[in-house]
Amino acid sequence: MSSANRRRRWRTRVRRIAGDAMVYSILVLAGAIAVFPVLWGVVTSLKTDRAIAEFPPRWIPDPATLEHYRQVAGAMGGYVLNTGVVAGLTILATIAVAAHGAYAAARADFPLKRFLLFVILATMMIPGVAVLVPLYVVASHLGLFNTYTVLVIIYSAWLIPMVLWLLRGFFETLPQELEDAAIIDGCSRLGVLYRISGPLVLPGLSASAIVVFIFVWNEFILALSMTTSEELRMVTVGVYYYITAYGIEWGKLMAAVCLALLPVLFVFVVLQKGFIQGMTSGATRG
Amino acid sequence: MAGGLSGIAGSLYRHRFEYVLLLPALAVAALVVLYPIVYAVDLSLHETSFLEKGEFVGLRHYAAFFGSTAGWQVLKNSLVLVIGSTALAIPIGLGLALLLHTKIRLKAAFRMVLVLPWVISQVITALLWKWILNVQFGLARLVTDALGVLPIDFVGEFETAMPTLILVNVWRTVPFAMLLLLAALQTVPRELHEAAEIDGAGTWSRFRHVTLPLIKSTVLVVAIMLSLSYFNHVDLPLILTGGGPLGETRILALAAYEEAFVLNKMGYGSAIAVVVFAVNILLSLVYMRLLRTERHV
Repeated sequence: MSSANRRRRWRTRVRRIAGDAMVYSILVLAGAIAVFPVLWGVVTSLKTDRAIAEFPPRWIPDPATLEHYRQVAGAMGGYVLNTGVVAGLTILATIAVAAHGAYAAARADFPLKRFLLFVILATMMIPGVAVLVPLYVVASHLGLFNTYTVLVIIYSAWLIPMVLWLLRGFFETLPQELEDAAIIDGCSRLGVLYRISGPLVLPGLSASAIVVFIFVWNEFILALSMTTSEELRMVTVGVYYYITAYGIEWGKLMAAVCLALLPVLFVFVVLQKGFIQGMTSGATRG
Repeated sequence: MAGGLSGIAGSLYRHRFEYVLLLPALAVAALVVLYPIVYAVDLSLHETSFLEKGEFVGLRHYAAFFGSTAGWQVLKNSLVLVIGSTALAIPIGLGLALLLHTKIRLKAAFRMVLVLPWVISQVITALLWKWILNVQFGLARLVTDALGVLPIDFVGEFETAMPTLILVNVWRTVPFAMLLLLAALQTVPRELHEAAEIDGAGTWSRFRHVTLPLIKSTVLVVAIMLSLSYFNHVDLPLILTGGGPLGETRILALAAYEEAFVLNKMGYGSAIAVVVFAVNILLSLVYMRLLRTERHV
């Protein structure tokens, strides 16, 4: 009896170890598939042109060189700066508009509130590609074509509903008593928002900033159709233009790709929690 | 009546603070998103020459689109891409979420690595894979060489272009499905599983009869969100396959972009954009209906 018991226990243990081994090997395989294309891009960017045109390829760049990075650094530096400026302005505009709206939506019940919020949130369902042509025509007529301004305005308009929704959740968690006390102490209602409630939703504001930054950094099709001059070029568009009519210089392209990936990966690794929270909330826009 | 009106005015006035705070967001939404979609409909009903609106042509652009085989081909391509990608991304995402939901070591590390592709923009995704699939020097040639077949231009050949686009698409979006489904799995009460286990239910039957019914609505929500994003994206197909070969991977959103910005047919492009918009509204309505029933359950 006890030996049968022991055998059964042994068998379940073997089965558990085999099961664990399978779980880990699937996860490791999936992880490898997830990171491999990026690693291969990094390896390629560090190879010489001659090594890149070698088949079968070497897995380790030998000799490793930063030549391609030197070649693309100047132009990419400019694109990074452009994208940084547009992202920064978009973060400010989006949060300024969305935070006020979110506060109103979280704090009081008023007639038409549900309807007005619905109108704002419903705009999230309109995909960028559907309004590309009208925006282009209007921007041209207003003389805004080929400016940072038009990018900042449109990016903000696309992101405000999502950030408003995100921040409303944060404002709703704040206790009303705190604000009532401030009002009794003679604080104006706007003063309450700026001095009491605003600072308390700082985590929400930084999550919003992350969402906006990643969106602007990764956006491509609007930047491609709204700007033409190289001085205004955004990172994704700049990288895209390494594909030329004369063919692709893979070394330079992969160096540019790696530089474009760097800030996003940095944000992702350092601020993972806020990042995932923000990205899942903003997933609807294509 | 007058009393009602002054009542409304009074309550508007009483809540002026909230309205003023909400106004900027409303104005931006109206001017930068709602007005353009109305303008797109208007443009789609007119002839255009570059930036100028010409004569009214009614539904001629729509008739041209739906009346051509190229138009139906584009619709079919979108359908194949959306269904193919969703049908792969959901099961893979769910499988990985189930594995991450078990008691394993290094869970956070695995999750971070698996989420990575989703952080990468469509543009960068397309370029990284374009290099791997390069017919001359790409790693894909190692596979075709090992199989003893001629090198295949995966993004440029008729049989392989669409499946390749779908697989790259799935590579980038599985993490999204995985994260949302993992969150759903974490809401399934552990006691239910323990009770089922005591009743002698095996792993599969516990999944089938305990887990699945409880996460079903999340699966549907994820499916719709993914479908919308696949349907609307331009960057990935534009860069990976360019819609080719011979329009084999030209999807609706890409056609809307190309007709307007590459071929300068703003009116016709707008008509296709309006079709894109209509499909979005349709799917969004289904989505909202789902969310509502989910809240009732």
